[in-house]
Amino acid sequence: MNRKIQRMRQALRRSNTRLLLTAVMLFQFTSMLLTAFRGSGISLQCVALAFALPAVTFVTVTGLSKIWPIDRAILILVLLLLSVGIITLSAITKSEITPRTQAVYSLGGLGAMTFGIWFVQNWRGWKKWQWWLAGLCVLALFAPWVIGRWHYGARNWIQLGGISVQPSEFMKPVMIAVLAAGFSNRPRFLKTLPTIAFAAVCCGILLSQRDLGAVLLYFLTTVFMFYAATSNGALTIAGLGMGCVAAVLAYRALPYVQDRIAIWINPWTDPQDRGYQLVQSLIAIGSGGMFGMGLGLGSPRNVPLYHSDFIFASVAEEFGLIFAVCLLAVYVLIILRGLIVAMNARTSFHSLAAFGIVVLLGLQTMLIVGGNTKLLPLTGVTMPLVSYGGSSMVSTLFSMGILLGISAGNARDEARDIDILETREDML
Amino acid sequence: MKELRRNMRIVGTLVVVAFLVLSGFFALTVFEQGSIWASNSHNTRLSVSKVQRGDITDRDGVVMATTVDGQRVYASDTATRRALAVTLGDTSGMSGTGIEGVYSSHLLDLSDSFAGRIKSLVSGAPRVGSSVQLTVDSELTAAIASRFPAGYRGAVVVMNYKTGEILAFVSKPDYDPYDAGTDRVEDTAYLNRCLQGRYTPGSVFKIVTLASALQNDPGVVGQTFLCSGSWNYENGSIVCAGQNSHGNIDLQTAFARSCNVTFGKLAYQLGFSRLRATAEQLGFNENLKFDDFAVYNSAFPTVQNNTSELVWAGIGQGTVLVTPMHMALITSAVANNGVMMEPLLVRRIEGTSGNVVRQGISRENRRLFSEPVAQTIAAYMYGAVQNGTATRAKIDGYTVCGKTGSAETSNDKNVETNAWFTGFIYDEAHPYAAAAVVEQGGAGSRTATELSAFALQAALYFVG
Repeated sequence: MNRKIQRMRQALRRSNTRLLLTAVMLFQFTSMLLTAFRGSGISLQCVALAFALPAVTFVTVTGLSKIWPIDRAILILVLLLLSVGIITLSAITKSEITPRTQAVYSLGGLGAMTFGIWFVQNWRGWKKWQWWLAGLCVLALFAPWVIGRWHYGARNWIQLGGISVQPSEFMKPVMIAVLAAGFSNRPRFLKTLPTIAFAAVCCGILLSQRDLGAVLLYFLTTVFMFYAATSNGALTIAGLGMGCVAAVLAYRALPYVQDRIAIWINPWTDPQDRGYQLVQSLIAIGSGGMFGMGLGLGSPRNVPLYHSDFIFASVAEEFGLIFAVCLLAVYVLIILRGLIVAMNARTSFHSLAAFGIVVLLGLQTMLIVGGNTKLLPLTGVTMPLVSYGGSSMVSTLFSMGILLGISAGNARDEARDIDILETREDML
Repeated sequence: MKELRRNMRIVGTLVVVAFLVLSGFFALTVFEQGSIWASNSHNTRLSVSKVQRGDITDRDGVVMATTVDGQRVYASDTATRRALAVTLGDTSGMSGTGIEGVYSSHLLDLSDSFAGRIKSLVSGAPRVGSSVQLTVDSELTAAIASRFPAGYRGAVVVMNYKTGEILAFVSKPDYDPYDAGTDRVEDTAYLNRCLQGRYTPGSVFKIVTLASALQNDPGVVGQTFLCSGSWNYENGSIVCAGQNSHGNIDLQTAFARSCNVTFGKLAYQLGFSRLRATAEQLGFNENLKFDDFAVYNSAFPTVQNNTSELVWAGIGQGTVLVTPMHMALITSAVANNGVMMEPLLVRRIEGTSGNVVRQGISRENRRLFSEPVAQTIAAYMYGAVQNGTATRAKIDGYTVCGKTGSAETSNDKNVETNAWFTGFIYDEAHPYAAAAVVEQGGAGSRTATELSAFALQAALYFVG
């Protein structure tokens, strides 16, 4: 038995991720070094990061895959996205504190990811804990109303002992767990009602805090997970229709939604004030052209929130169109690998959890990239794993940890299958 | 579980496809519009850009815009500077058609080669953008602008009908590029009326009606018409300017004297669909997008509501609209045996190392008229200059062909008509065409014709 798992691990290690790992490490090293020499002097922090990034990447990938038979490709691509964020921030921010903080957040996030990998493999009580988690989720989302503050027109931050955190970010994996538990084992429609009610309450709270991006993400993730679990097409369409009606109502009733849409339709009518953000984002992307202005060149800081919500515009300006499209391709690859993990999972809970994580990641990336490039109305969500910000980073990496943990479970299950088959053959 | 997997596959495919569509859309929009975004006036990178804006020169190499110590410098003479601003635009992006804005990605080398960047990185020298040479003649432009009736609005286009080169764009009111963005600039001065001014053509549209008649019924040449100064059709009437009764006249004389009754009858005889077909064949109701610039749509009614509309459309009144540039193009095609050349504004764009980034090459755009039709129209236009309404267009030693127009823009008879002239010099060595409109300039046979004759003479003098 143990020998078989050993063999599985070896097979996994043989799978061709070594080249990918090398390429990612080389990218991290060279671009960080390039950034180090961009100014008049040499940035010691960048030099340090030039060595630290590949080192951490190498240790994380080899270390974690030694312990658990995780999907290495997903892990490497996740680390690539992390480093793109840190490199871009190093190249464009004025102070060196921002990239350093981001590096610390990333380390914290990797810790959370490791915990996630361990946790999902050893946690069996998901059905029992479902409603406790749901309560926690609602309470946490509600917290900004009690101890929060307004932040860029949304009330979605709370202060916890000196650091401000965004509960809507942290509650994403929790919500997915609750939904996966509620929707697992092919429930009848009536049985899903409490779970749907829970999701509706979450969306309502978020809407009251004007966190439109989060509302949209929570809503769409719920709808897609519901469809996958119940294959109830009619109800799914009805749900989406209700979402559209709600969107229209929101448009009618809420002036800030109308504002957003008006800016989206034509930001050039008010390029100095309301459309400023989007116009500057488009200008930054356009200035980058095919090959970009070059790392550390250009002036992406013209775009407000260049380091968080609009980091995609910054990346496009620095690295250029081709790189930006490749970056999107990296997300697609993670999504595809993640879907395979979801489809190979043995229990519907794990399957749905992995699926939810992947769908959320995809939707969030689409929303913010579309928002940056005027293809979709702008909603203030982060670009997963790239944008500056601790809450989003730690939460997304924890989700990725759960995904990786499920992949490790799958690998172990497959090894056990092979083992059983061989034993059977031996007996015959 | 099997079903779960299937659903996941469906949703997953959906997400991935959405992603691909998004990426594709993103790449496409950036590819198509990226340089437009980048050359937007709100791009502060342009003003702080370390790249020095390239020069803009005219066809003879006269520098019309250059950069000295980081400052953009235009002609020192105010009148010349204002006249050229129509063509050149300004660095603050107020003009929508100016070279400074439209070609800023070249002038600033935003789309520059990788090699150029490396070179400047190594040498440490500031990067200089490409220089743009235009086909216009700066002296000609200034001369026409100075001759434009003071206080009036309007536009003049001069072009070479054999090569398609634009020799001058004049649009009034004009503005000082140094004042761009301030309130010292007159209303609508940022417009290039040659390309963006949509005017009622009046009698210059008779060229189109004539073309339609010649195409559909070559026998019309021999037909005589009776003009008693006015003609009552089913539910209205049409009159000739000043209630002139032209009597029994043939088509050529009617054209030369710009007889409204004859052309109203001609339009009626042709019918709406045939007239419309000819107009659209000549580019009406079409976005005329050329490589170097775009021209606002000229308009011809697409549905006929009553006979009145058809009869008045025949003499270029009613809802018919045309830009001076489009009129110049139609005239050029008449002069050029029916072929419209691709209009050129940019002669060449040259990189700092002398490499040619872009070269304007004369080429046919499309055929507007058949050869015999073009020749007949040209002969009729010659008649108009010899013994018709356009006699003021005569230039000693040259064969000039032309057509005048006085377009009514208001039912109030106290409002002066817009004065029009469009014509050309019939000469292999000096193939110049001009179209001019003076808003509320009165009869076209006077203001616009004199202005155009001057423009053509000036072209002979300055361009050769």
